[in-house]
Amino acid sequence: MDKGLLAYLLIPLLSAVIIPFAARRRALLADILANVTLLAGLANIAWLALRPSVIQGGFADIPGDGFSLLLVGAVYLVALCVTFFSAWFMPEGQPNRAAYYSLLLVSVSAMTGVVTSTDFFTLYVFIEVLAVTSFALITTDESAGGIEGALKYFFLTFPASALIIVGVAVMLLSLGSLSFESLRIAMSAEAPAAAVTFSAALILLGFLIKSGVVPFHTWTPDAYQGAYAPVSAHLAGIVTKISGVYAIIKLATLLRFFDGRAQALSEMLMFLGMLSIAVGALAALRQTDFKRMLAFSSISQVGYIVLAAGLGTPLAVMGAVFHLINHATFKTVLFLNSASVEKATGTTDMDKLGGLEHSMPWTSWTSVVALLSTAGVPPLSGFWSKLLIILALWEAGLRGYAVMALLFSIVTLAYFMMMQKKVFFGKKGQAAESSAEVSAPLLAPAVLMCGIIVALGLLFPYFYTYVKVVAERIIL
Amino acid sequence: MSAFAMDWYLIALVIFTGFYCMLASRSIVRQLIGLELISKGAMLTVISAGHQTSNLVLAQALLITMIVIEVVVVAAGLALLVKNFRIHGTADIWKLDGLKG
Amino acid sequence: MTYHNLLFVLAAFFAVWAVMARKLLTSAIMLALVSVTVSLIFFDFGAPWAGVFELSVCAGLITVLFIGGVSLIRTEEEKRPEGRARFYALPLALAAFAIAAWFYLPPFFEELAGAKVLVSGGGTIGAALWGLRRPDLLGQVLMLAAGVFVIKSVFPRRTEK
Repeated sequence: MDKGLLAYLLIPLLSAVIIPFAARRRALLADILANVTLLAGLANIAWLALRPSVIQGGFADIPGDGFSLLLVGAVYLVALCVTFFSAWFMPEGQPNRAAYYSLLLVSVSAMTGVVTSTDFFTLYVFIEVLAVTSFALITTDESAGGIEGALKYFFLTFPASALIIVGVAVMLLSLGSLSFESLRIAMSAEAPAAAVTFSAALILLGFLIKSGVVPFHTWTPDAYQGAYAPVSAHLAGIVTKISGVYAIIKLATLLRFFDGRAQALSEMLMFLGMLSIAVGALAALRQTDFKRMLAFSSISQVGYIVLAAGLGTPLAVMGAVFHLINHATFKTVLFLNSASVEKATGTTDMDKLGGLEHSMPWTSWTSVVALLSTAGVPPLSGFWSKLLIILALWEAGLRGYAVMALLFSIVTLAYFMMMQKKVFFGKKGQAAESSAEVSAPLLAPAVLMCGIIVALGLLFPYFYTYVKVVAERIIL
Repeated sequence: MSAFAMDWYLIALVIFTGFYCMLASRSIVRQLIGLELISKGAMLTVISAGHQTSNLVLAQALLITMIVIEVVVVAAGLALLVKNFRIHGTADIWKLDGLKG
Repeated sequence: MTYHNLLFVLAAFFAVWAVMARKLLTSAIMLALVSVTVSLIFFDFGAPWAGVFELSVCAGLITVLFIGGVSLIRTEEEKRPEGRARFYALPLALAAFAIAAWFYLPPFFEELAGAKVLVSGGGTIGAALWGLRRPDLLGQVLMLAAGVFVIKSVFPRRTEK
């Protein structure tokens, strides 16, 4: 475990434990404590990574492999947006308010644990904690849809965990140790390939189920649609990415050391990635519910990350890491906006919405920025990550995949344009008549994230240096 | 056939039974039972691997953590069951089809 | 057949029974028996700590939780029993799987066993947990905290009403 980042795990845990006691007298203290904890953590990370001296030095001073720090930053950023949003979104006197913030903070701790772990079993332990917290978060508002999504999530992730454990057992048998480092050493040595490949395949299968890649995607739309509105931003933005996709990137970069002996696994990963891009995008075209459409779009974007991770060249890994961060920013904006729409109009059914542009201009335009970034329109950040992925595919000689990835990025634009037209532009629907723009604090997280999207796009050279440092440290 | 292969073959049967139960049943309790069977199988593989490589100390250390996790997971699953029972008045998972698309 | 193999067969047998039982209560008890058998297997492997934990926590605590859950929904469950046909098909499916797997799995597992790496894992469990697996202990603490908050969130204390 990375000792330097341990504080980012312990401090949220501490304030999660304090919150129920503090909130007994004043419920407001729960909101304040949660927000302050996350804000302090984020400021600290920004100081570590974005000091002028560090930027000048080409990010060589970043502790660890840089990947962990980047992801901890993303976790804190998304969680801060979600907590800030829910402080104003949650109705007064919700009975499980304190427990909600505690669970959010515990999930932040667990995600920090996931990204700082150096060992497959520790990874598994933290991912279980994350799963337990997230399905309790899904059911926060006690709606019928929430409990259904939570149950589907529950009964798909825990068998996946059992598969991971069997993989860990095979690894214990054939390596004698469970750390990433020992796997790396065994792979570059002339280890018996069959056993190690088998265990890697089992672990990979478990994480593919957890990240909702296509043949295993059935739980994703239900969980995202049914979840309590701010929680779906938390889930789609960061939780499922950390609990599934992160481990896939990690494993895929390790598999590269197998030089060709695990080729079949990498190819299968790329195929599944492409399949999710296609199925997710095509299914998103025919959704009528705002949140459900976003969920299918999320499946499609995860496909890009898995495709790049499966390719595993340094450029592709850079693209995957960058797309992971971008996905966290734009999906958080879109889901938070869907929550705002839900609060203002009482529905997320796109057939009933329409013409919200005039009454909710801020929500409308932040959505435009986020969806253009998702579709990969320059100069927003999403463009650069998709460009990296497609370039890497082209360079590796996989022209077919590159062209398909490009084509489906146009489909992405198409379904988002349809969404934008149905929800915000066009004729005023029946739900839009009485709705007004949500209050400024509810808009602040979306505006902040949009600022980050634009900034990452415009300041891409700096970010590229950072991601390059990360990719070099991971792969070399 | 070595004892190891025989053990793992039987573990595979237990895991298959668990998956079958999860696929065939509509009751949440029965699905949880299937989940338990699968995780029992997974635990057996860990200990068996530890025994095979004379690394039982590490395997037991892992197993204790796994048991703690399992208790919390089962408790949380039953809490979900009770909440679902309160809201829907049923413990039948296929009755839940409010979300579609 | 040795004692060791007998235990594994028993575990599989109880597992099938737990799935096929008509009453949920029987299922829960059979699950407890699976746990007991598994803990006996742990003792047989020479892993007493794992056995003790399995016996007290899985066979004890989890069974109590299950029986609590079952008794809560029993009346409703008896009103509308689910179709039994799929459960009667289990022995058939299991037998088909067992026969098919007999030809493929054991040779594969032999290969796995051939790839094993012997480790001289000395020391005590406590030392291993504290020395090697300290992050896992942190994970356990986090897990218990998560469990408490999950229960608090699912069953909140209602102040009004």
